[in-house]
Amino acid sequence: MDIMKAYIILSIALFLIGLLGVIVRKNLITILVSTELMLNGINLALVTADKVLGRVDGQIFAFFILTVAAAEVAVGLGLVVAIFRLRGYEASHEITHLRD
Amino acid sequence: MEWVIFGFLGTWLILSALGTVFVKNPIHVILFFLSALLAMSAIFLSLGAELLAGIQLIIYAVAIVVFYVLAITTIPWEKIKRFEGVYKNELFVASPILLLLFIFMSYMVLEGEFAKPSGTVEDNVRELGKELFTSYLFPFEVASVILLVAMIGAIVLGRKEE
Repeated sequence: MDIMKAYIILSIALFLIGLLGVIVRKNLITILVSTELMLNGINLALVTADKVLGRVDGQIFAFFILTVAAAEVAVGLGLVVAIFRLRGYEASHEITHLRD
Repeated sequence: MEWVIFGFLGTWLILSALGTVFVKNPIHVILFFLSALLAMSAIFLSLGAELLAGIQLIIYAVAIVVFYVLAITTIPWEKIKRFEGVYKNELFVASPILLLLFIFMSYMVLEGEFAKPSGTVEDNVRELGKELFTSYLFPFEVASVILLVAMIGAIVLGRKEE
């Protein structure tokens, strides 16, 4: 087996663990951390593809993903803190104000 | 030797990711996440992406983790106790489905073929900089606009209501 396939499989595992975290966690901040894990999995797949193809385009996309991750953390943590302050301290299954 | 490095780093990464998902205390979650980021950076180094490994350390392991820790410390502990941990029912439903998905995707990766290499990279950092400031100049500028919008959004969301 090629070692690059092993790296791709590792990135798939990391992405799915992050998805599991988004599904099962109760705390809003840990849900955000799990999305960061998913983004890291994507980065690993891009860098591996770069190594296979002998190019640098995937690493540039990984840079843009890092930028988007930083923006997402700023806005997401702002939203979480605003929810905590305005609506009280709530778990993720109690935030149903948009549905009601 | 390659496989030894891969086995060590991959085990470290997967164990830290599982810890991130299943540990109760939010501070411990952040510490496991930091450990996963360090493993990730080492994997980037072993794949030959030196600049990305450094940026991973600077942006993720310093900026984002510190931001998370600051946000966690503003939240009172006695009120957060009520909703730490995981949903049991969702865990029992989701983990078989995700495991099946993992087996299926791994099978596709193992059966498939990679594309043929279309070039060689001697100096990773130099090539990356050249490519970033010529072919990808416009997305680079747009990224700065995204960061500006995120900054304004965070300020608007975080300010006290008058």
